[in-house]
Amino acid sequence: MAKKNSKTISVSLATATCSLLGTSVTTPVQAQEEPGWDFNTALLYYGESDDRVQDVSLNILGRRTYVDDRFLTLGLVLDSLTGATPGGALPFSSPQTFTSPSGLAVYTTPADVFPLDDTFLDTRFALSASWQQPLSRLFTMNAGLTASKEYDYLHLGANFKLARDFNKRNTTVSLGLAFANDELDPEGGAPVPLSAMLDVGDLSNKTGDQSKDIVDVVLGVTNVASRNLLFQLNYSFSNASGYLNDPFKFLSVVDGTSGDPIARIPAPGAVGPLYEYRFENRPDERTKHSVFGQTKYYMDGKVLDLSYRYMTDDWEIDSHTIDARYRWPVGDSSYLEPHLRYYTQNAAEFYRISLVNGAPPVSFASSDYRLGDFDAITVGMKYGWKTRSGNEMSARLEYYMQDGDAPSDQIIGNQASRELYPGLDAIIAQFSYRFGK
Amino acid sequence: MRLSRNSVIDSGNEPSVSPAGAARKLHLHQKSGHYQGLFRAMGSPCELLVDTDDETSASKLLEIVAAEAWRIEDKFSRYLPDNIVARINDSDGQPVAVDDETANLLDFAETLYELSERRFDISSGALRKAWTFDGSDRVPTAHDIENAVATVGWHKLSWRRPEICLQPGMQIDLGGIGKEYAVDKAAGMVANEAPCSCLVNFGGDLVATGERQSSESWQVGIEAPGSSAVTAQKLIHLKTGALATSGDSRRYLLKDGKRYSHILDPLTGWPIENAPRSITVAADTCTQAGMLATLAMLSGADAEEFLAHQNIRFWCLR
Repeated sequence: MAKKNSKTISVSLATATCSLLGTSVTTPVQAQEEPGWDFNTALLYYGESDDRVQDVSLNILGRRTYVDDRFLTLGLVLDSLTGATPGGALPFSSPQTFTSPSGLAVYTTPADVFPLDDTFLDTRFALSASWQQPLSRLFTMNAGLTASKEYDYLHLGANFKLARDFNKRNTTVSLGLAFANDELDPEGGAPVPLSAMLDVGDLSNKTGDQSKDIVDVVLGVTNVASRNLLFQLNYSFSNASGYLNDPFKFLSVVDGTSGDPIARIPAPGAVGPLYEYRFENRPDERTKHSVFGQTKYYMDGKVLDLSYRYMTDDWEIDSHTIDARYRWPVGDSSYLEPHLRYYTQNAAEFYRISLVNGAPPVSFASSDYRLGDFDAITVGMKYGWKTRSGNEMSARLEYYMQDGDAPSDQIIGNQASRELYPGLDAIIAQFSYRFGK
Repeated sequence: MRLSRNSVIDSGNEPSVSPAGAARKLHLHQKSGHYQGLFRAMGSPCELLVDTDDETSASKLLEIVAAEAWRIEDKFSRYLPDNIVARINDSDGQPVAVDDETANLLDFAETLYELSERRFDISSGALRKAWTFDGSDRVPTAHDIENAVATVGWHKLSWRRPEICLQPGMQIDLGGIGKEYAVDKAAGMVANEAPCSCLVNFGGDLVATGERQSSESWQVGIEAPGSSAVTAQKLIHLKTGALATSGDSRRYLLKDGKRYSHILDPLTGWPIENAPRSITVAADTCTQAGMLATLAMLSGADAEEFLAHQNIRFWCLR
């Protein structure tokens, strides 16, 4: 009997009803239950190998549904970050000492090890609120505010989106705008771009607060091509201007022949770096264009979700992202979802692994591995299930591998035998629980 | 927040004999933001809500809707003596040629018979004679039920458009399709006549034609089994499309502590066991919604599972 009942007859019934009523055009049903709150909560662990960044993140999203498709969404994210992150110096055959970002202490990296700054510790706390409602029969608007706070960072943002339905609501065109202002106030002050790393206590190269403004514009089209097929195409424009440096990143200053760092002697009685390093400098403007395409194909409970993103910017980074997920029902109330993602980018125009001593000065330079030439693969699996009370739970485990190359024309002398790109592996584990009406 | 209800689904209407011409009156009232028209047809209170301030057009639409409801009632009610259903049921084994509209309904009934694996059967009229669901304890004997089942079965009659031929003693009853069909037909007529949104509600089976000017929804209360219409258990906000409810809140027999639902299984002649008290389905048309609700009822304990496979929204009350 259970087998018989599993039969889907709604399509045959729809056809028979069309013949009976003599019409093939009907308005699709839009019915909604008496509204209420629902919550989506998630606990996420992100852990990089070799004691690099570890993040534990708690994410709570509450949505209040009101009649006539009006929604209030409130979000809270708490992140606790610890671990070490590459400062930007190259490894060397002797130990290296660095002045910490605050300018008040030093840390030392052993010989032949990729230098990591382990003073990294932060708590981030983010809030968001948005309101969505129809403006008329075919227009929907969404307006929101975002804020986040870290020890030395404050982000404030506002966004607005307008969508219009076409083609019996099978096509939606949307235009989104977002503005953000980020204030940065690193302990001890942000370093003067391209200035040398100084001895402990010497704050003469530090400046005050910094800030940047970001404008994003997203133009999107979503199209329900058939009962089983959905397409989405987005174009995004993003412009950031202001202070775009990472105040904690610097480059090794090396000899033009050997590629080894240039030795430095701290001032008498002072503690400080034993080699020369200079803080990075990036252009004060970055404009990105990206195109994103996604298709979802529904087959009798299974869902294939494929997407591709192309991004290009005026720092001359081009990136490609391919993402594939396949949702596979297991029994009546659970599913498995394998996930595969591939990402590749080339290096920014001003990416360099080191600065050459005595070479003509450069305007911009950064050895931040995130601006380098790298590929990344994510492989994951998610298992989701419905509880007896109709709530949804899921557990996700993913493995992330990132590896890059130093540009071959930048490798000097002894550098060829050293590790020049700090590749990383990371584990992502997430548990989510969705409950409410 | 307390929400005002525009309409209440009353899932327990007993179809009653309403002689044609008697009590066929129209009532029109102005409500806040819309007009409400009321009349009776097919044994049920019927309602038309019109999203307009214009009394003339509301009145005209009400006349159209009521005329269509009464036309369909007159043509297909099994309680009336001279219509096509009576001619078929009184044919005593002789073939009867039918018009296109009746033929379309018979084709549809045949499709449903197949889709439901013989459980939706318009020839099960004899069973309803054996069972009278009046809240009493008069459960028929097994012998009576066997006799009734012997005259039931779509496969025993011959239907070749435009001719239907019943075996002597067989009866058909389009009551299981008629009300939803009437709602869709009437809704189609008002949609052609006027661009404004209307809610056509015949005894709780209803359609909203188009979206309201204010982009608000029509609010429909689903009555909880056994409760009064004043305390609807759930409110559904309907913008477009249809809702239909199948339920047994007032039509049942109670004997030795056992409740016998009015949903009969034509294969056994006995009521379906463990069916929900009420099922409301949302679909593009009232006919689809009503048939899915009925077929779910026929699935008894598996009603929710059946509905979960149909890609629709539904609300079951047990």
